[in-house]
Parts: sequence; structure tokens; C-alpha cells
Amino acid sequence: MDIYFIIFAIMALGGALFTITAKDALPSALGLLTVFIALSALYLHLHAPLIAIFQVTIYAGAILVLVVFVIMLLMTPDEKLEAAQKNMAYRIMGAVLGAYLTALTVVGVKGISELISANELPEGFGHPGLLGDLFFKKYLLHFEMASVLLLVALIAGIYLAKKRI
Amino acid sequence: MDNWVIALIKVVFIWTWTLLIATLMTWVERRGSAMMQDRLGPNRAGPFGLFQPLADGIKLFTKEDIIPEKAHKILFSLGPILFALPAFSAYAVIPFGDKLIVNGKEIILQVADVNVGFLYVVALGAMAVYGIVLGGWGSNNKYSILGGLRSTAQLISYEVPFGLSLLAVVLVYGTFSLREISLVQQGTFLGFLPNWGIFKQPLGFILFIVTAYAEANRVPFDLPEAESEIVAGYHTEYGSMRLGLYLFGEYVNMYTLAALMVTLYFGAWHLPYIDMSKFLGPVSYGIASFLVFFLKTAFFLWLFVWVRWTVPRFRYDQVMGLGWKALIPLALVNLFITALCIQLTV
Repeated sequence: MDIYFIIFAIMALGGALFTITAKDALPSALGLLTVFIALSALYLHLHAPLIAIFQVTIYAGAILVLVVFVIMLLMTPDEKLEAAQKNMAYRIMGAVLGAYLTALTVVGVKGISELISANELPEGFGHPGLLGDLFFKKYLLHFEMASVLLLVALIAGIYLAKKRI
Repeated sequence: MDNWVIALIKVVFIWTWTLLIATLMTWVERRGSAMMQDRLGPNRAGPFGLFQPLADGIKLFTKEDIIPEKAHKILFSLGPILFALPAFSAYAVIPFGDKLIVNGKEIILQVADVNVGFLYVVALGAMAVYGIVLGGWGSNNKYSILGGLRSTAQLISYEVPFGLSLLAVVLVYGTFSLREISLVQQGTFLGFLPNWGIFKQPLGFILFIVTAYAEANRVPFDLPEAESEIVAGYHTEYGSMRLGLYLFGEYVNMYTLAALMVTLYFGAWHLPYIDMSKFLGPVSYGIASFLVFFLKTAFFLWLFVWVRWTVPRFRYDQVMGLGWKALIPLALVNLFITALCIQLTV
């Protein structure tokens, strides 16, 4: 365990905890921003500068800005986020999904830790060119499937937003 | 050890330099606007009023620091800092000259040449919006919230064409490193034009400059602080040095964006048709490249001022319409044409 990882891991976890416990909407969004930035620092530490930058540009720079936009559009600074979900069915569903996600993470992390063997990095690791190579050669199918998924979501979004097409 | 000292000197130099330019820009803006409106502008402090920024700074520093009673204290004081910090750090990956050779040691005139340099600037540019949002929300004032809201909407709309126009540049040069992009702009293109990015990406440059003005919240896109509609927008409640940080951050942003324009589209430190490194000594070449780069940047800084006092502000729906209906399709077309050209020529 190195100190760099511990600092940013604590920062990410603290930010996440603050996000779900904060009573004000905008500070809660800022907690999420802290999580994104801490994650980005961790990616940098793992020699993946491109992913680190994308984490900041896309998550913190676009998605969270959208969230903040909605908060500012719909709420006022005086408004407090009231107590948690009252509906019991939702709460149970949340618990089940949470447990599933945790299990998935544990399995995933265990799998990765078995894969890791050497500390040495291959030549040019984390370079944008290499990443593009992987995307368009080795993992082309996965890449295309992800883009089809996004396209479906896009069309669905337009359909939902427009009453009549 | 030696490298550490050099890196430290570069960091300190670029910080002071950026601060100096931003300070000077407040003077240029005021004198420039006065010139265009046929009046004198501040001309009392020092020669040509050059010490005016200093007087402004002293005034802002010594003013009473007021936090409105109903404001959210933490957010209110965090806002200006979060706005100024990304602005000050963004210059780190942009070059400010070629290289300086002192005692046989080559010093590259750039703080850090990282291979994702480009995206770093984009990422930090997007971070500035949080400073505005925090200020707007923390002030607990209707006008401030409207300013912050406009800022977020504007950023989402203009970040996409901004990124797409930059992506076309990456396609042309095949690298994310700003130094490598600068280096290949030497020589001529098609035999008679300087080998500058603007001749390869004319549409890309127009898109970039328009979105850059929107990113810097400058006229005609200064809707977050449109004083004729929402008082002063996100910084309505601010005073003293907190306001100073907001205003200052804007000029620093302008400087970074102007330097980025020069690096990507205007041949960085290269003069057209003349290769300075051939007939200048190593030290004088370093200084000359710095000066050429700075003069080009200075022109774009002046352009910011020029546009501000020439063009009226867009209406809010016009800004959104321009972003989504004109700039994004154009940026996509530009990207497509660029990719096609590269596919056909390589």
C-alpha cells in the first residue's frame, strides 16, 4: 500500500459519503466532483493519463455540469434535501442492487488481482495511440457494441423528449 | 537536482509572466475601450496610466471583505478560488517558446510536455464553471443564480464544438502533445503558404475561436454576467479581492486561450518563410522564439478586447441556437472532411 493511493482513496470515499449524506443539493454535487477528481488522480498513479484526463473532462466537465444545471434550474439555495426514500419497495430494491454491485466489485477485484503478475509496464503504456490501437483492433466488437448502445439511448432520448416525430 | 531547479524556474517564470500579462490586460482593456469610444480612459497613474492596474489591485486588496448575511459562507468563499486555480494551472502544458541552450544544456520553453497536454487544457477549462456556479449559488441572490445557470448551459453547449474542433487538429497532426504540434509547423504548406494550422483547418479555427470566446465568457457570449439583464450575474454579491479573483481569472483564461490559438493554428514560435534557428545563436534563438510567440499571442489578446467593444451581446436563445444548430453540425462536418482528407492523402 502506498501513501499516494491511500490519500486519494480516502478522498474518494469521503467525497462519496458526503455526496449521499449532504442536506444541500449543490454541496452534494461538489462531493461527487471530489470523487471524480480523486479517481482521476488514482488513474494517473496507475500510469493511465488519458483515462485520468477523460475522467475529468467527461465526468466532471460534462456530466456533472449537467447535474448542476438541473439542480440550479429546479431548486433554490434554501431548499434542503429531506429524509430518504419512504417507499419500502424502493428501499428493498436499492438494498438488493447495492449488494449485487458490491458482490460484482469483489469478484472483479479478485479477478484482477490474480491477473496482475509483473510490476513492469509494457513500452508506451497509457499512450493515447496505443489505446486507440486496442480499441480499433483487438476490442473492435466491444467498442462498436458500446456505440450501438449509446445510439439506442440517444434515439430513446429523442423519442421521449418529442411527443410526435 | 539541476532539472528540478530548471523546472522550478520555469514554473515561477510562467506564473509571474501570466500574472503580469493579466494585470496589463486590465489596462489594455480599459485604454482600448476608451480609444474605440473616443475618450481617454485611465491616464493619471504613471506614464499612459500604466500603473492603473496597480492602483486597482491596492484598492481591491484594502477594501472591506463582505460576505452577505444570507449567503452560504463556505461556497461563497470557495467560488473565486475554484475559478482562479484552474485558470492559473492551465498554462503548464502550453509552450511559450522553442528551446534555450545554456552551457550545452537544452531547456525546453514549456513547463511540462505531456502527451495528453491538449486534453489537460480542455479539462481545466471545464473546471472553471464550478467557480462560477459556486459563486452564483453561494450568494443566494436571484441574479447570481441566473448567472450560474446560464454559465452551466453555455458550457455544456460550447464544450462539444470546442472539443470537436480540437479533435480535428489532433487528426491533422496525429499527436496530443502541444510541443510536437508546434514543431511540425515549420516550413511551407503547398509550396507558398506558411505551414500553419490555420491553412489546414480554416473552418476548425473559426469554430475554435467562437467557442473559445464562449469558454472565456467574453462578449458576445458574456451572458453569465450580462449587466443589462442580471446586474452582474454570478459576481453580483462579490466585492474586494474576491471580485478581483473573478476578474483576474478571466484575463488569465484569455491568455491561455490566446496562447492555445497561436500554438495550434498560427505556427507557435515560427516566423513565416524564415527559419530563425539557422542564423541565430542558441540563446538569442530561444529569446527570439519566445518573443515571436508572445507577439502572436498579444495580437489575439488584443482581438479579445477588440471584439468586446465592437460586437453587441447575443440574446440567450441565440447563444443556445448558435451552439446547437450551427456550431456542432459544422464541427462534425469539419471533423468528417478532415478525416476524409487524411484518409485520401496518407
